[in-house]
Amino acid sequence: MSLVALSELLGATVRDATGTVRGRVRELAVAPQDHPTRIAFLIIKTPGGERALPAGDLKSSGSTVRTVTESSQWGAHTPSDGVLLLKRDLLDQQIIDVHGRKVVRVNDVELESTPVNGHVLLNVVAVDVGARGAIRRLSKGVVPAFTLRLLLEKIPPRVIPWQFVDLLETDPARRVKLKIAYEGLAKLHPADIADIVEDLPAAEREAVFETIDEGVAAETLEELDPDVKVSVVESLDKDRAADIVQEMDPDAAADLLGDLAEEHSGEILREMHPEERREVTQLLEFGQHTAAGRMTTEFIAVPESGVVDDAIEALKTFEGGREALATIYLTGPSRRLSGAVPLVKIAISSPAIELSQLSEPYIACAPDTPQDEVAALFDKYNLITLAVVDEEGRLAGIITADDVITMLRHQD
Amino acid sequence: MKFPSISSYKGWRTRILLLLAVVGPGFITASVDNDAGGIFTYSLAGAQFGYSLLWTMIPITVALVVVQEMAARMGAVTGKGLSDLIREEFGFRLTFLVMVALVITNFGNVVAEFAGVASSLELFGASRYIVVPASAFIVWVMVVHGTYDSIEKIFLAASVFYVCYIVAGLLAHPDWKAAAVATISRPPAAGIRSYSYVYMVVALVGTTIAPWMQFYLQASVVEKGITVRQYRASRWDVILGCIFTDVVAWFIIVACAATLYASGQHTIDNAANAAEALRPLAGEYAYLLFAAGLFNASLFAASILPISTAYAVCEGLGFESGLDKKFHEAPVFYWLYTLLIVAGAGVLLIPRLPLVYVSVLSQVANGVVLPFVLIFMLLLTNDRELMGAHVNSRRFNVVAWTTVTVMIALTLVMIVRH
Repeated sequence: MSLVALSELLGATVRDATGTVRGRVRELAVAPQDHPTRIAFLIIKTPGGERALPAGDLKSSGSTVRTVTESSQWGAHTPSDGVLLLKRDLLDQQIIDVHGRKVVRVNDVELESTPVNGHVLLNVVAVDVGARGAIRRLSKGVVPAFTLRLLLEKIPPRVIPWQFVDLLETDPARRVKLKIAYEGLAKLHPADIADIVEDLPAAEREAVFETIDEGVAAETLEELDPDVKVSVVESLDKDRAADIVQEMDPDAAADLLGDLAEEHSGEILREMHPEERREVTQLLEFGQHTAAGRMTTEFIAVPESGVVDDAIEALKTFEGGREALATIYLTGPSRRLSGAVPLVKIAISSPAIELSQLSEPYIACAPDTPQDEVAALFDKYNLITLAVVDEEGRLAGIITADDVITMLRHQD
Repeated sequence: MKFPSISSYKGWRTRILLLLAVVGPGFITASVDNDAGGIFTYSLAGAQFGYSLLWTMIPITVALVVVQEMAARMGAVTGKGLSDLIREEFGFRLTFLVMVALVITNFGNVVAEFAGVASSLELFGASRYIVVPASAFIVWVMVVHGTYDSIEKIFLAASVFYVCYIVAGLLAHPDWKAAAVATISRPPAAGIRSYSYVYMVVALVGTTIAPWMQFYLQASVVEKGITVRQYRASRWDVILGCIFTDVVAWFIIVACAATLYASGQHTIDNAANAAEALRPLAGEYAYLLFAAGLFNASLFAASILPISTAYAVCEGLGFESGLDKKFHEAPVFYWLYTLLIVAGAGVLLIPRLPLVYVSVLSQVANGVVLPFVLIFMLLLTNDRELMGAHVNSRRFNVVAWTTVTVMIALTLVMIVRH
């Protein structure tokens, strides 16, 4: 078992079973649908055209590649979309380093060659993103191979194991064929995904948002820089954009749609589910910089006559954001706000206690309160959530502390 | 189905940002094009050869429009910078060579910018041994601490100073007819045979179509998020910027030809010298404007050049880059940036350094490297897999390949005649 670099293999002379030089290695191909890491075939440039050499025919690999078959048995190479070509698709391209949570450029690819029954298997094990790969490629053919190997051993490797690599592919059809699903990326925290996405070119951003789960995409979108957010949503087709936007918190969705060109936001709204659409349009009708523009309509309100158990039931069925859970609001006749119970009190009280006994004085503001005053209220009363009530005293929505932090950060 | 009108929620800020997003890159690049190296080169061209180099301005403008448009289009279509594309399409080794050439020529340009700072402030009696280190320090801090973004608008506003060259040119009472004829006539045959004439032609092309500007323009187009859809507006921004640049250049040459050349002073030792020569003819006003314009231009370009070089190199070679990173996260990026500034400003501290000579030399280096960068740009903009329907038109290819051929030929002539 030994490691061999892609850059060493590329251009290597190929000798067939008779020992004669038949050509040079031009490409290495992986067929992800058959095996995720194994080299399926090599493309050999021969005087008679390009040949596909099945990887099972390899006897040894290195600066010279030997095969167990004769060159007459190698078929002509026909280009296909479904294979990953290491030189074209990977070398010098950008990839996502899932473990290091950033976008990096590939300097070289490390392959492992394992001898099995008289031939060798080649597997992709890691990509080299450090100085070792860079120097190997710079000095190839200039410095003698043996000296180079000694020199390179002294350089500490900077490699990313293959399982932590997410490839970038902008063509949706090819993405399916190559089984690229951004699985590693999607497991990261949305804020980290957002940082990575911001480092990508527009087409690659679009690719990520087309592929990852709608829920993750929605959370990631909320974390993106406002300019990037708008360009991402405008680049997506409207069905996909609507799927993602309706997964967002209504207040974030309204903010986003308010930033889009009118024709875009109209199209997206039209594709959304009626219920989500109603919430978002309501929010859109208020100014963006008022309490109503900042509030979310997803909150927990329980009748004031209820007991702790009712509140717990409401918590279980709640689908909105977790930050809205800090306070359970109590409503009286015709949904008028009558009290507020912190989540902590629910957690430490027995199920039969009446909610009205736990109720605390609450702070509320009108929908048209300017956002500066909202921030001032949070500061003064050390709030986690703030109720927004309409003229009749009905609970229209709530503002959560994280919205206020975002708002303050983006004010200047 | 009817939805509430959303446009009314759009803040004025968003509107202005949208406007700036398209008006920006081309115009900013055009403004920094007339940097210290440019002003020295144009001044010397006028002083040394009178109107006889004015014929270069029309072909240079055409080539500039074509080249800048290619860079901007590449940025809009691919969403990637020029060094990224060179790396992805031509591999590590060629990218490395391009980056070495870029660092060397850009270093020369940084020296020219600080030479501009030094000589413009020397007009007001300040010693270069104080102003150069001070401005190097200010530039470094300003860029690293992100204050540059807000200062950029000040620089841009101050670019109105470029109009001062036009004013200076007008006040110098040139021979308009002779200048106009020289602009549209053929190149004088005697000139091509002279080393110093060819040297100056290469410098003029190199300063106007500087390689670093292509990297910078494409990067700014990408950073502003301009896509193919918004590109139509951007294209005009680029074209108008180029024309503005060259109108200013034309006036500088004419102004110097009408004063310095006409009065028999055919060499310029520093910009103060050039401004000095304008004073008796055009009065105190033009003289002061000249100095202020040069200072603004130099500091503006000095803020952009080192950082854009560091970005281009790190992105091409795959080093961590970005001002949002800490020093230890992106050491190559910060070291390269710092070294370009410190060494670039350091050169100015060499006693009796011939400022104008060094500045013009750096522009000649631009001109020599330009065709090679252009070849890469041409191959990229003609790659259908990369550019789709937005590949170069035939006319663009003719202009750009002609530029490549002419620049290589001029370089060879320069070497032979030396």
